[in-house]
Amino acid sequence: MAVSVIFPVKNREEYVKRAVKTAFKAKHVMEVIVVDGGSSDRTVEVSRKEGAKVIIQSNLVYPGKGIAMRDGAYLAEGDILVFLDVDIKNLTPDFIESLAEPLINGWAAFVKGCFDRAAGRVTELVAKPLLRMFYPELAKFKQPLSGEIAGLRKLFYKVEFERGWGVDVGLLIDFHKLGAKIVEKDLGYKDHEMKPLHALTDMAYEVAEAILKRAIRDRKIDAYWAEKYLKSVKSLDLKPEVDGESI
Amino acid sequence: MRVLLIGGGHSAYFAAETIKRIDLSGKLMIIEFTSEKVFVLSKLFPFAEIIQLDIDEVEEYIRANGRILDAVVAATESDSLNLRYCKVAKESNIPLVITIINNPLNAEIFLKEGIAFIVNPYKMIPIELSEILDAKVNILYSFHRIGVQVVSIKVGDRRLLSQLKKEMTKNRDLTALFVSPVGEITNSIDEVDVGWRAYVLGYEEKIKRLLRVVEG
Repeated sequence: MAVSVIFPVKNREEYVKRAVKTAFKAKHVMEVIVVDGGSSDRTVEVSRKEGAKVIIQSNLVYPGKGIAMRDGAYLAEGDILVFLDVDIKNLTPDFIESLAEPLINGWAAFVKGCFDRAAGRVTELVAKPLLRMFYPELAKFKQPLSGEIAGLRKLFYKVEFERGWGVDVGLLIDFHKLGAKIVEKDLGYKDHEMKPLHALTDMAYEVAEAILKRAIRDRKIDAYWAEKYLKSVKSLDLKPEVDGESI
Repeated sequence: MRVLLIGGGHSAYFAAETIKRIDLSGKLMIIEFTSEKVFVLSKLFPFAEIIQLDIDEVEEYIRANGRILDAVVAATESDSLNLRYCKVAKESNIPLVITIINNPLNAEIFLKEGIAFIVNPYKMIPIELSEILDAKVNILYSFHRIGVQVVSIKVGDRRLLSQLKKEMTKNRDLTALFVSPVGEITNSIDEVDVGWRAYVLGYEEKIKRLLRVVEG
């Protein structure tokens, strides 16, 4: 079975060369795809030079990790797709081989990578409680938001890609709904950049939205009121106020 | 003409309208993935056959119908999908393989795969804006198949007018019309004054040369 490795990127010139080179060294890899979100540095040029197929996200005005993953999945030709963050400093071919192994051996149709570290803040405070509420069978996953995933290409045509940060948990739920066998694979230690706390608000919002949207779709909550409520809060101005003045 | 249009979004809507207008007796088939859009498209385009397929069923459909199709227009909202479908259409020897791209920056990857007919729906924005804003030079259209371009040049001052006269006299294969600020039209450069606009048609190399001279 042939493997396509996909890196969603934006302005990652310093990581992309090593990432593409490493991906090509992994067993069964037939192509490396870089989906660029409109980089202003040399990410695209460097990726092409290293032999990656490069496509620019279809929507540059409202780009997002999910759109990049979707474009990568649709471009790929391998039987197995492996998605990785490009900024993993200790990326080795083993990462890719470990993710692809359960698929090659037919043990699973979707693989979620996890790492030797405490799960992130959005995972613990948003994703896990909501999954426990609506999809308890998925609450056992240690890191449901992990961006290191692999799956059978054909199944990626049957799921919905969220635009932004909700994409990883959205795919997990959608693959589960398709009846795909899902396993979590320990990939060891991951050395990468952590997001600062203030950058997590949007991420937490999008993760919650992706889970709730699916809970509505799967009739786990009253669809009419929930949809109306979600639409109304999305447009709220959430700037905090002190003594009646915005800060 | 038998045309297969893939996609049911905004680009596909205008493509379907155009195909119908230029070939009233032709057969148009539209593939869309979602049942909601299939319903809307059947109402909008009763003359077309609307087909609902999964994303991964389209390639098989193209292969199976390749022999009877004259053209495939890939106009989905993902350039990756458009590329996939164009590649299959090309392999199936469909005479015209066209894509309407979402992101003009992806044109290169299509060209690399030998897909020459790339429609960029955003092309008109700079052209129309430049014309409205009275830009000094505006490349209005490039006929890539025959290597011909149409440009408009604002005759901003006497120096430019005399250069233009010289170039037009020297290059007999450049054809031009001149329009005054109040809408008078002439094909004689001798009647032209400062403030007029020249609309020049010619081979790309000649136009490039002309623009180099005009832009200094």
